[in-house]
Amino acid sequence: MTATLSPEMTMQELLQALPGAQRALFRLYHIGGCASCGFRPEETVAEVCARNDGLDPAEALTAVETACAEDAKMLIEPKEAAAALADGEARVLDIRTREEFDAVRIPEAQHFTQELLQTIMGEWPKDDLLVLVDHQGARGLDAAAYFAGHGFTNVRSLRGGIDAWSLEVDPALPRYTVE
Amino acid sequence: MSNDLEANIQAAIANPQNLGEMADADAVGTVGSADCGDMLRMWVKFKEEDGRRVIDKATFQTFGCQTAIAVASMATDLIRGKTAEEALAMSGQDLSAPLGPLPPMKIHCAQLVEGALKDALTPGGKPSATAAPAAPTLFDQLNAPKTVKITLKS
Repeated sequence: MTATLSPEMTMQELLQALPGAQRALFRLYHIGGCASCGFRPEETVAEVCARNDGLDPAEALTAVETACAEDAKMLIEPKEAAAALADGEARVLDIRTREEFDAVRIPEAQHFTQELLQTIMGEWPKDDLLVLVDHQGARGLDAAAYFAGHGFTNVRSLRGGIDAWSLEVDPALPRYTVE
Repeated sequence: MSNDLEANIQAAIANPQNLGEMADADAVGTVGSADCGDMLRMWVKFKEEDGRRVIDKATFQTFGCQTAIAVASMATDLIRGKTAEEALAMSGQDLSAPLGPLPPMKIHCAQLVEGALKDALTPGGKPSATAAPAAPTLFDQLNAPKTVKITLKS
């Protein structure tokens, strides 16, 4: 564990030091994924660990630090995703708004809805490649970590989102901006 | 989690009971917020049986953790035939009992179900368990911000 991390730091400070910490906490310990297992920004790492199975804060911080360094492994390159999709080896889940999805989409993608989430959790194979698509890659890693924390072993976030897909896989797919 | 607990949760998730809204419910209880995605809501319908007003059917909808879905599925079966008072006397531990003992880090999932049930059955009452962190969660990232004016680039 690096010197900048300590059990006494607040969760807000931890997230500032390690932006990927929330993803790691959920993947590793099922903390911070939804409101029922979330935390408050002002809680300390030690407090959150204490009410989550009495985790050792120092060990948890070390594990989180290591996991953050591996965030990149949850990304998938657009061309790699396209190849998997062409081979029928991937499902594509689009987490953008309905408006964005209706305007621009990967043809095989399914639009994420609350109803679909229950189907995914209950019925989709946990070890199939699941590719999450957002606009430009800003939300995909967090969303992927949510599924990873629920046992999906091969979930990846499309690097650069559908914007990168337009640039690198299918130039016919228009790029766009949102307001 | 133990293998047995994990297996029980997976079995419940694979075939959730009493899932969905109930149009003619007598009572509805909610914990969490649909706006932020994390929400558990229960609908309860009563009937008269031997001079008692008992729960005829309960259904739920949730976007929480799998354990919460599993507990809610179990709970809606467990409370059938009970009066509101009998159902209110059940703790999160009672409601999750068919799954087996929950580890400490999962107890809040059962409390979420208990909270929704109390919200439904206690007129004007407050749910007993409303873990409402101020920090955004990963689940929030699954819910795209409500926008959107889209401008296609030429």
